[in-house]
Amino acid sequence: MNKRNKFTIILIEDEKNILSFIKRVLERHDYKVITANTGNEGISLINSSCPDVILLDLGLPDMDGTDLIKSVRSWTSIPIIVISARTQEFEKVSTLDLGADDYITKPFGTNELLARIRTALRHGKQTVRTSDGTVVQVPYHCQGLSIDFTKRLITLNGNPIHLTQIEYKLVSLLAENSGKVLTYDFIINRIWGPYADSNNQILRVNMAHIRRKMEENPGEPFYIFTEIGVGYRMRESEN
Amino acid sequence: MEQSNKMTKKELVWNICITFAYLSGATAISCLLFFVAGDTANVGIVYMMAVVFISRFSNGYVPGVIASFISVICVNLIFTYPFMHLNFTLEGYPITFIALMLISSLTSATTSHLKEQNRIINEREKMLMEAEKETMRANLLRAVSHDLRTPLTGIIGASSSYLEDENPLSNEEKSRLVNEIREDANWLLNMVENLLSVTRIRNTKAQVSKSLEPFEEVVSEAVQRFHKRMPDAKVQVTVPDELVMVPMDATLIEQVIINLLENAACHSNTTAPIQITISTQGSYARLDIRDYGDGISPERLHSLFDGHATSSDHCCDTKKGMGIGLSICKTIITAHNGSITAFNMNQGALFTFTLPLGENSCE
Repeated sequence: MNKRNKFTIILIEDEKNILSFIKRVLERHDYKVITANTGNEGISLINSSCPDVILLDLGLPDMDGTDLIKSVRSWTSIPIIVISARTQEFEKVSTLDLGADDYITKPFGTNELLARIRTALRHGKQTVRTSDGTVVQVPYHCQGLSIDFTKRLITLNGNPIHLTQIEYKLVSLLAENSGKVLTYDFIINRIWGPYADSNNQILRVNMAHIRRKMEENPGEPFYIFTEIGVGYRMRESEN
Repeated sequence: MEQSNKMTKKELVWNICITFAYLSGATAISCLLFFVAGDTANVGIVYMMAVVFISRFSNGYVPGVIASFISVICVNLIFTYPFMHLNFTLEGYPITFIALMLISSLTSATTSHLKEQNRIINEREKMLMEAEKETMRANLLRAVSHDLRTPLTGIIGASSSYLEDENPLSNEEKSRLVNEIREDANWLLNMVENLLSVTRIRNTKAQVSKSLEPFEEVVSEAVQRFHKRMPDAKVQVTVPDELVMVPMDATLIEQVIINLLENAACHSNTTAPIQITISTQGSYARLDIRDYGDGISPERLHSLFDGHATSSDHCCDTKKGMGIGLSICKTIITAHNGSITAFNMNQGALFTFTLPLGENSCE
């Protein structure tokens, strides 16, 4: 029974107390945890054990975490979650641009960490086979909000919400990646195309409109959160 | 060395340009006077004026002296009989020559002296500002280290009694101790984040780097972060129908909102929800944080944002240092060219800050 297929997580962190705290939390939630204290040790462990998720602290003694991301990304797309003590948002953005999947800022709670790992493990669009044999995308569902991607229908507590074309695209992009932070540039690229003005004001304005239609109180959003200076994150789907 | 060489080269070109421009101007005016009005008496004065201007706007003595020399030759060559011939034997000529030389040298000397004095005054002002900043920094450090010691003492004490107590602790006591440790640690975290904000302002020479942000997003993120720490406190946010975009450093403004929320939650002695309202007022965005608690004691009201430690005798909890939180709020808002005020209402207190909306406030 012990030999069940557990998800393997590699944890690269030089701070002993934090390492043992994260390890304990993850093991209690049934993950197999391999730990490394240095970047080089981490790289060789990643090469040898092919983990499901990599948890990476950015401030390592022997190498810069960003270099590790570059080196890992050169051969694999294993999800990387960056643990960062830095509060400067451009550093977060640059690690995301380098190929990290998500980040979590110290200090964090265990629930936050577990949610990030769940999201990272569930990467890509999820599909489900319906009764008539076609394969469709799993609808987004969270509290009162449902998004049916095949019908392009968004309902809140059963009432349909009318969004413009762009607004729908935006919400569905966030919902497909629910639980994960999407940077402004990534969203603009996907919605307005690669030649769009990188000024994100149009995105912010659209988001304000969406919030006024979707959220009960746009001042206290429940579904779509802002990560100032980085991007947006949609509440994790319950499916 | 390269740099200074370049500078002198640039100065040289500048001096030559200035000298040439004023002298040609003077020659043109003199020609007009001479050929149109037939006036020779004022030619010398016109050149003298040119020399004065050259001394004023060029660097050093040399351009003025050279200009006066050229002026003398010009006057002699063009405007005095015999025309188009140099003749230095004219009556009174040496006096004109010496007078022009003296005037230009004196003007040059005076202007460069003035420039030098200006530079010294500027430098002195800068030094004074530096010194002022230094005292502010020292005061802050002193206040902070005092404030950090309190929760650290709590953490060390609680954890040692957890580990070392000979009589086994009851579960209830254990969880109380751990809870205290967590509270103190969270408080420390807020302190550290406040300090980081201050360094953020320092880094950019007391000016903040602003970008256009939706006010409501900044507010909601601040409320979210506040809830993480104080899950029991209730907050109600009201936003206007139209989106308000404000140029700001979002991290800093978030810190201001968190500090004000924390202040309201800690010091109002009530569980009534704190209300946040976003609005616009002329060319300013405005944010009100209203609590329905005890209000601010009148003797503190006038020095609320000065950063003096509170008198601990009537503090609702042992956590002082909110004084620092509020003074950091003031620093941040001032750096944004906004204003922050506090009032007592019929019930509870109202903190309001404003931030300029327009582009003219952007650096």
